Amino acid sequence: MRRALSGFFALLALSFPGRVAAQQEGGEGGSPPAGQESEGEERKKDDEKDAKYFAIVGGDVYTGSGAILRGATLLARNGKIAEIGYDVVVPEGTEKLDARGLRVYPGLIALGATSRMSTGATAVEGPDASEGTGDEAPPEPEIEIRWDGLLPVPVPRAGQSGATGTEPPDEQFQAEEEGEEKKSEIEDTFDPFNSFLVLALATGITTAQQSSAVVKLKRYEIDGVLLGERHLASIPWDLGNPSGIKSTRDKFAKAAEYQRALRAWRERNDKNLKEPSKKGVDTTANRVLAGEALAHFRASQREELLGIARFAQEYGIRPVVEGCEEGWTVADELGRAGAYAILTPRHRMPKDERFVRPGGASIENAALLHLAGVQVAVRPESTTIDFIGTAGRDLLALPVEAGFAVRGGLPEEAALAAMTIVPARVLGVDHRVGSLAPGKDCDAIVTDGDILHYQTFVQYAVVDGKLVYDKEKELYFAHIRPRPKEPAPAAAEEPKAEVESGEKEEAKEEAQEEQDDESSGEDEKQSDGGKDE
Amino acid sequence: MTLALLFTLLLQTPAKAGGDLLAIRVKRAETVAQGPIEHALILVADGKIVEIGEDLPVERGIPVLDRPEWVATPGLVNAHTRAGGERGSGRAFEPHALATLEIDPRNELWEELLELGVTTLALYPDGQGIPGQAIALQPHGKSVQDMLVAAPAYLQVYLQASASSKKALRDAFQKVDEYEDKVAKEREKWEKEQEKKKKASKTSGKKEDEKKEEKKEEPKAEDKKGGAFPQEDEKKDEKKEEKKDEKKTEAFVPPAPDEKVKPFLDLRKKSLTAMMSIRKAADYLHLLDVVEKEKDVQWFLQFPLGDDGDLYEVAQKIGEKKLLVVTAPEITLQTNSLRERNIPAELVRAGAKLALTPRSDTLQGHRDWLPDVGRLIGQGLPREAALAAVTLEAARALGLGEELGSLEKEKAANIVFWSGDPFEPSARVQAVMLGGKFVVEVGKEE
Repeated sequence: MRRALSGFFALLALSFPGRVAAQQEGGEGGSPPAGQESEGEERKKDDEKDAKYFAIVGGDVYTGSGAILRGATLLARNGKIAEIGYDVVVPEGTEKLDARGLRVYPGLIALGATSRMSTGATAVEGPDASEGTGDEAPPEPEIEIRWDGLLPVPVPRAGQSGATGTEPPDEQFQAEEEGEEKKSEIEDTFDPFNSFLVLALATGITTAQQSSAVVKLKRYEIDGVLLGERHLASIPWDLGNPSGIKSTRDKFAKAAEYQRALRAWRERNDKNLKEPSKKGVDTTANRVLAGEALAHFRASQREELLGIARFAQEYGIRPVVEGCEEGWTVADELGRAGAYAILTPRHRMPKDERFVRPGGASIENAALLHLAGVQVAVRPESTTIDFIGTAGRDLLALPVEAGFAVRGGLPEEAALAAMTIVPARVLGVDHRVGSLAPGKDCDAIVTDGDILHYQTFVQYAVVDGKLVYDKEKELYFAHIRPRPKEPAPAAAEEPKAEVESGEKEEAKEEAQEEQDDESSGEDEKQSDGGKDE
Repeated sequence: MTLALLFTLLLQTPAKAGGDLLAIRVKRAETVAQGPIEHALILVADGKIVEIGEDLPVERGIPVLDRPEWVATPGLVNAHTRAGGERGSGRAFEPHALATLEIDPRNELWEELLELGVTTLALYPDGQGIPGQAIALQPHGKSVQDMLVAAPAYLQVYLQASASSKKALRDAFQKVDEYEDKVAKEREKWEKEQEKKKKASKTSGKKEDEKKEEKKEEPKAEDKKGGAFPQEDEKKDEKKEEKKDEKKTEAFVPPAPDEKVKPFLDLRKKSLTAMMSIRKAADYLHLLDVVEKEKDVQWFLQFPLGDDGDLYEVAQKIGEKKLLVVTAPEITLQTNSLRERNIPAELVRAGAKLALTPRSDTLQGHRDWLPDVGRLIGQGLPREAALAAVTLEAARALGLGEELGSLEKEKAANIVFWSGDPFEPSARVQAVMLGGKFVVEVGKEE
């Protein structure tokens, strides 16, 4: 993919010394066929003469993959990022967004957002959507104690998720399988004018998970909103329901057997041999083992997490663990399993005092998991989006949630990744979104400061190379710390900056950055407000 | 002079036709089609307007009604109403159903509507999804047949941003595809058979030809018998059939489509139009998603205006398509704000055609109709567009744009006479002429 892309640049003869092509993420879980497809589409579009360009000029570009390019230009072509760097040739007729003194980040990705975001206030919350929020209820009150030998085992009360009997989890399993057969209806219900969508964009969210689908928050149009589907396969793993765990194990064992048989059959390539039968093989387990979906667990206790980590290593799969409150106590094990953790850093969970072992929620959870190699994603306590939601309790404060993890020691870069590339990987859409890199979708946000700072506002949001949110033009936040007026006309400054950079060339890149910073004037200092670094 | 000459020349024909000529002289005629005419003279004969112009001389012998204080407008047309219809039939998918059975000619409402200047109404069938076809009627007549102006007027379709709603419409068109495939196959079969027959005997072919000619004559005869408003669609159908027949000297009788498929087939043939009812801006995009593939289908847009309405978001897009939009004269608030939006005016500015219905289907709603429209004029809706919205454009929505809706030659003499500017709240209906006859005369009743 990277080779093809660089070839494409060579074709365009756009390779300039100053250009820093941000690297494609290596070893990403993005499904290669889909990637090739989008590349094909891209080429087709490239053949069109009337390509549409969009440029974000002069901002500090945080690519989300490590690089920070200060005062750089991001150029998008037909909705895909064509180039990020300095001395970028911006073709005539390009729609330009002046981001001098501002920061450019990849658009944020909201995990498990409620369907209101894409279908508006009239949305009826389906069982799928409420599933996510239902699990967030604090577990303490529902817990009973069951004595297993000499050890007390905390068990959810009967009736909650079926502490007895094997049927309920099986039903759940089955129901999810059936649910997965259905194609997402999001393409037929998407409301690109709904005000919650604008609110989400105002938070910086450009992509949202809506039950099984991943949706691009496009405005004014309904084409191409469905980004991905069914990448998470929910697997029950509840200590209170040992038979459920056994059933999961059995299903995976059978599916693994089938996968082995299938591989052997394929390798032999013998026409006389029959293709192994899929009969009795659990489709969900099979999809996980075939690499079509990620196993998605909801677990918070140490024992559950340990079990999941070992189970995952057994089958060589990367588990996605949501909740993961006590993850910090078994971080090594989760790291070894290559787990993804979906955390709510501000979620409280008391230590179970019946145990001597460490437990309970910790402010350091995200930091320790990250240190152990677990890829951390963040989702807020409540994923509804509403005007009456208290700031901080809902999706409108996704960056603040990530900021809380930073408070606990998570590096800022990892905190940004927790809202961008990690959720993209979890949802299987990291080949399209999640970081700013050539070839990826131009989904970016422009902020007036550090995204993790509570004072920072999203000034602009761009989806597919189109400006979809401008703080000054929307009703919601325009009056709070209005964007300072520009002291000098932008047209006078731009060519000057270009000439300068041309003279000094890339050797004096740093000096140029400083110059750019100075030339953007006082407004930048004001808007940055000293919270920069 | 030349005008007068022309006039006399023109006059001769209707005079010879022997109709009851009547000339009405009014202060102003709002023709809608050609703008207002001061000191207008309207000549009516045989239920139609024969001539209209400024200060035209009248031949001796023709009775003249001199009303120098009246303002004449075309009869009001309500393009989308349930007024006078029965409640709660609750249909979901019955595209073949007509709203005809619902009307009761003895309903007092009709007379009252007529007194308010309403001369044509389109009654749409109740229900959800695709509940059936609307009919156009005049609120005057002793029987349903008397009242009917056009049946069907349009196919009522509700479309929302939901998978089931979109699927219903998609499936309907898919069934037409299936039917058309079926017809094509049958035709092939039939042609092969014909070839075989031809080879077998040439004499039998001639006989069939004769039969064909007989068939051609029949529909023409029916045409002449037809009422004052011959239905366009029937005519077109017949013409098409005839053309087909001419091409292939022998008649091919296609299998009859299912009654639920036929309306959609008619849509494609342009013998029927569709009224697409939506509620929100997103619905419009989803509607386009379904309908844009159907290039031949002519459709109008209808939506109610409420405070949650965000249709201003797509006003520009609707305008670019020059769509005919049927809505209510309502000033709405922008979502989550107190900013007033005049969506009808925005639509007109964007280039859309506008038809306005009363805000409610009740009698009071019809009483408030023109004052409500007047309020929109006060807030930026061009007056000509407003006048057309309650007359000519509304008539076009019913497929009757050629027959009524404006004060023009050859159009039905559905005229309302007002005491002043019809958009002034003080204006009262003085008289209503329906099909060339005065059906309401305020002075006489007193």
